[in-house]
Amino acid sequence: MAEVILENICKTYGNNFRAIDQLNLSVEDGEFLILVGPSGCGKSTALRMIAGLEDITSGSLRIGGVDVVDMPPKDRDIAMVFQSYALYPHMTVFENIAFSMRLAGKPKAERKKRVDEIAKTLQLTSLLDSKPANLSGGQRQRVAMGRAMVREPAAFLMDEPLSNLDAKLRVQMRAEITSLQKQLGVTTIYVTHDQIEAMTMGDRVAVLKGGVLQQVDTPKRLYESPVNAFVAGFIGSPSMNLFEATLTGDELMSGTFAIRLQDAAFVRRPGLRSYAGRKVVFGIRPEDLYDSSLESGRKYQTIPAKVTSIEELGSEHIVHLNVDAVRVDSGDPDAVDDFGLASNAVARFEPVSAVHSGSDIRLAVDDAKFHFFDPETHLAI
Amino acid sequence: MTRQKRSHHRLKRAVAPYLYLSPSLLIIGLLMLLPMVTVIAYSFQNSAVLRRDPSFAGLKHYQAIFVDPVFWASLWHTLYFTCMSVVFHMTIGMVFALMLNSDRINPTLRNILRVLYILPWLFTAVIIAVIWRLLLEPNGVVNSVLMQMGIIGSKVEWFSSPETALHAVTFANIWAGYPLFMVSLLAGLQGIPKDFYEAADIDGAKAYQKLIFITIPQLMPIIISISLLDFIWTMQVFPLIWITTGGGPIYSTEVLSTYTYKLAFSSYNLSQASASAVVILLISLGLTLFYIRYQKAR
Repeated sequence: MAEVILENICKTYGNNFRAIDQLNLSVEDGEFLILVGPSGCGKSTALRMIAGLEDITSGSLRIGGVDVVDMPPKDRDIAMVFQSYALYPHMTVFENIAFSMRLAGKPKAERKKRVDEIAKTLQLTSLLDSKPANLSGGQRQRVAMGRAMVREPAAFLMDEPLSNLDAKLRVQMRAEITSLQKQLGVTTIYVTHDQIEAMTMGDRVAVLKGGVLQQVDTPKRLYESPVNAFVAGFIGSPSMNLFEATLTGDELMSGTFAIRLQDAAFVRRPGLRSYAGRKVVFGIRPEDLYDSSLESGRKYQTIPAKVTSIEELGSEHIVHLNVDAVRVDSGDPDAVDDFGLASNAVARFEPVSAVHSGSDIRLAVDDAKFHFFDPETHLAI
Repeated sequence: MTRQKRSHHRLKRAVAPYLYLSPSLLIIGLLMLLPMVTVIAYSFQNSAVLRRDPSFAGLKHYQAIFVDPVFWASLWHTLYFTCMSVVFHMTIGMVFALMLNSDRINPTLRNILRVLYILPWLFTAVIIAVIWRLLLEPNGVVNSVLMQMGIIGSKVEWFSSPETALHAVTFANIWAGYPLFMVSLLAGLQGIPKDFYEAADIDGAKAYQKLIFITIPQLMPIIISISLLDFIWTMQVFPLIWITTGGGPIYSTEVLSTYTYKLAFSSYNLSQASASAVVILLISLGLTLFYIRYQKAR
């Protein structure tokens, strides 16, 4: 077990494309850190650099206190779980798990003992003689985990290991990997583009965009206090609603409506006052918008909105709305999917809500939950 | 729909696939099955083709070729020629495919090598035979180079000496045939996921271990399929040997195909030639059945 420290890590490709820019990250011993971000943000590149599968252009990388920048992958004392699992189809489960021991010239009896132990932990004992082609997605995933575990590495690196599984199995495997990591206590760096995985699995989450680290924090703090509009939009599903408005005195003016801000909003963010008379970006999460006709929404201010479509999920309604405000793009390419062509806001209503598609409603807004961002820099105020 | 119409429709549906297949079946029947059956029939007749009413000979012609030492020499030469060709086709093809698939070679050089390595495939057997006859003649380039390098002391008559002729034709055939393996194995190599090698790198595999534990097992289906096909094709090679050595000197490069040809068109013993052809057919058939079984098993 070991800590992994990245200092000013850069990766520039031959065509001068900078995939990673000045990445500083410290993963503590035994910590489960998630690297998350949209496609092409450099998260897999960062992981592959830690593994030694990509050269580091500049910067320092230490695993367990040892500078590993110039070390080949095998000497870095890491194990990696690939997105495709990279299981050798011509080998049995046993042979796949024992492969690194076989390469290291470990005796047969020792290999068997170790593989049996791991198979027991991962519930693979009955499958040891099977070939990967005869396994289900979840079983293959466990074999890939077993192959990583057999080496007893200082750190696990996992590159989107659940992306090939169906939604139901993914939920199950999320829990399995998390509990296994806790049980083994091995430092783990896990790459995903799925922010639900990021929020549910990691001790801390590092959000990357365009090769630049945006924020590293616990899932809770990341959700509650995003440092910029990108993190605010990326973390949370559906995404945070971001709008442009003008701050006039203690009111947010946008289109045909105004929302009065409480004093607490200014107390918590002293910088907000300096935006008086100027444009500001405000964000509100879908669960902080309410159906004003229901008890839960009665205590809040309301703004006019038109319901464009409803997704009834049973436990809640995801309501797509159109409000008279200019939506702000957080810079997350995936966030666009949350909005239909005619809508610019998403709300989570209780399932008892009777709103229907096409109706004009009063949308209750919990203004205490507003997030504010600078309209130019998109940094949190 | 009436009952009659329904049964007519069903009949049409059942017959349709056979109607689509019939043109190709007819061509195969006329050009392959008919000559094959005829040759088998000839092998059991006396004076086949030469007489209008040939008499039944039983297994006489088979007995004749089985006691003929030239037949056994031909069979041995065929096996040597075929086995050596297949083994070296595979080895050279694999080495060149690995080179062309390697990132360590400059891409421009790789493209040039790709063209150079595939060149032997572009020549017909006759051209290959002529090229190697010129190269290996006593006053040819090969002797001259080997003598200058001090490897041989005097000119060697590669195709005319019983000691070297079989090796020389085998060498020419190896040169002509490796591109099929190279191209097939290169396609296979390009299909092996990069992740396998990266996982092996992390596990500490050396280059030769990656070759043994990943590359070769991944290419095994291609290696087996192409080797079997090459075995079947090489066993029947005729023009290369006929043009370079004609089966000589003193039967030293006689293979089953040249042996059969000579029986038919030099000795005009078409019955015995047919018996020899049937032996080739049976060996090829055995290999083909093995190939089909292997393909089915996959």
